[in-house]
Amino acid sequence: MSTPKDFVAVLDSDARKTPRRIAFITKRTSPQVRVKDEERVMTYPEVFFRVAVAITTLTIALVVVALLWDAPLEGLADPMHTPNPAKAPWYFLGLQEMLHYFPPVVAGVLVPGLVVMALIIIPYFNINIEAEGMWVKDKERRLRIFGIVVVLFSIFLAVFHVWVALVPTLIIAGLMYIAAQSDPQTATGFRRSLARRPLSFWIMTWFLFELVVLTVIGTFFRGPGWSWVLPWKGAL
Amino acid sequence: MPEEVKPKPSPDSPEEMSRRRFFVKLGVGSVAVAALGTAAFSYEYLSPNVLYEPSPVVDAGKPDHYAPDSVTLDPQTAIYVVRTGEGFFALSAICTHLGCLTAYKPDLGIIACPCHGSKFNKDGVKIEGPAPRPLPWLRMWLSDEGNLMVDRANAIAIKQLVRV
Amino acid sequence: MANTLDQLVDQVRENRIWRSIFRSGTGDSNLHKSLFVQQNVFLHLFSIKARKRTLEFSATWYLGALTFGTFMILVVTGVLLMLYYHPSAPQAYADMKDLQYVVSSGVFLRNLHRWSAHAMVFLVFAHMFKVFYRGAYRTPREFNWVIGVVLLLVTLLLSYTGYLLPWDQLAYWAVTVGSNIASAVPLMGAKIRFLMLGGTAVNANALLRFYVLHCVILPLTAFLFIAVHFWRIRKDGGIYAGDHASEGSNQ
Repeated sequence: MSTPKDFVAVLDSDARKTPRRIAFITKRTSPQVRVKDEERVMTYPEVFFRVAVAITTLTIALVVVALLWDAPLEGLADPMHTPNPAKAPWYFLGLQEMLHYFPPVVAGVLVPGLVVMALIIIPYFNINIEAEGMWVKDKERRLRIFGIVVVLFSIFLAVFHVWVALVPTLIIAGLMYIAAQSDPQTATGFRRSLARRPLSFWIMTWFLFELVVLTVIGTFFRGPGWSWVLPWKGAL
Repeated sequence: MPEEVKPKPSPDSPEEMSRRRFFVKLGVGSVAVAALGTAAFSYEYLSPNVLYEPSPVVDAGKPDHYAPDSVTLDPQTAIYVVRTGEGFFALSAICTHLGCLTAYKPDLGIIACPCHGSKFNKDGVKIEGPAPRPLPWLRMWLSDEGNLMVDRANAIAIKQLVRV
Repeated sequence: MANTLDQLVDQVRENRIWRSIFRSGTGDSNLHKSLFVQQNVFLHLFSIKARKRTLEFSATWYLGALTFGTFMILVVTGVLLMLYYHPSAPQAYADMKDLQYVVSSGVFLRNLHRWSAHAMVFLVFAHMFKVFYRGAYRTPREFNWVIGVVLLLVTLLLSYTGYLLPWDQLAYWAVTVGSNIASAVPLMGAKIRFLMLGGTAVNANALLRFYVLHCVILPLTAFLFIAVHFWRIRKDGGIYAGDHASEGSNQ
């Protein structure tokens, strides 16, 4: 990954299309001129019109929704009556679902804090920059570590009865195992695409999956007292 | 298979031009309509339909409360209730110059504005000062219960007295 | 008739007053198209030319632009809504009813504001995931990713502070639950909650603080970070379009 020289000299081409540039790039500073020649178009009108179309389409969609559906407004705030259930806005419902299993320090402070920190450090870690499949190198050792982590994490979730998080975890772990058993060179189709994914992909996909599942459960499957309800049936 | 290739109309040929220009005009026209519509709706939105302000109609109480030949100022509603020998009338107490609250000077028998020195007589007619108009007479009538009612939103052109 | 309209437009654009305001000229030349961007205080954030590959829908799904679009809708509808809203309890709730029944287009503006807020939260998450999955966070774009995470947090905070403002049951209890979670922070939790609410309970002070946060502090913060976010895109070499052409040359 590291180059012995501490600079890269690049010559940009075709003076008719782009101004001629000679760049000495030292120690991976920005910007990096990697692609030699690319077709360029005028920002006005190409970029502006496309963005205008995108934003106009969005606006029309939102206006139609605003004309058809009313935003909710419940009764006046009453400190003496807590509604049952008292639900947070939908984007926090995943968090509220976790509050059902863990104390507020964990579900409300620790987990969101760790998530934010993990998000921030993503681009600074090599495992996110490598583009090769996670099972290509060192397969045996990695499988062992993977097995231990999955087992420990599953036990932890099971002990706290967090089935809603355990099931997605096991699904993702299953897909990762299938990826391990597929050769990225010889496999085809779905198994091939799985085999080529790096670890960063799996972690992020697990996070996205958990986020969606927990939010959906918090939105549709939780009723009074945070009890389990089937949205098409009512309280169990 | 030999085919006759129809020459493609160049971008400057009349038919291409008019189609493009038509759509450009359609687009610009739609934007113009949308802009006008937005302006109209914005104006409607910005003009309140309901005002949370006190009613302009004032209940001035029973006529007997007012001494004969008196000029009584109610500073909260900014009106003068004037009782003469023949009857009652109401004046706005707001100076017609720049809106200050005037005051009645009983020893001088005039209404004076403290802001820029305008003076009015008991009929509201200006005696001196920068005020451009006399103090308006306000519509007054007797309610069913026998109370004097004054409508601050309606001035009367013809000076009429309410006789009790 | 069409001709006279064109002539009218041309006359306006050749007029001295018009030319003193819009100085980049007219026409189809590349010079004019360059000046249109480069001479404009708002638009010169963009580069004069753009790489064609970045404009494909499949590259970015235009999620960043759409997020910004929802933000603009929220600012406009929000400012308009502020004209009828008093941030005091229980007047705030009465104002919500006013907007619904008394004010012309009140119900539409409120709906648009609410649904755009939900859309913005959804779009900002989608934008983040799309950027991750196409690898656009890698060097030299690391810091822009961090700015993006900050913007995600600002968006969530904006949504959360706005949630309290209607002062209905939904608002009141959502914020009560949220402020109690804040107090779970070790060591500083109670202090954080006290500062957040301007007191010990969700009452008039809390409403006013959330109002100022929602309408002034957080939007200003958002604008600042959006400006840096857009600037960094430029400085990092434009939208990332997948440099599979010369992968590995510098890594």
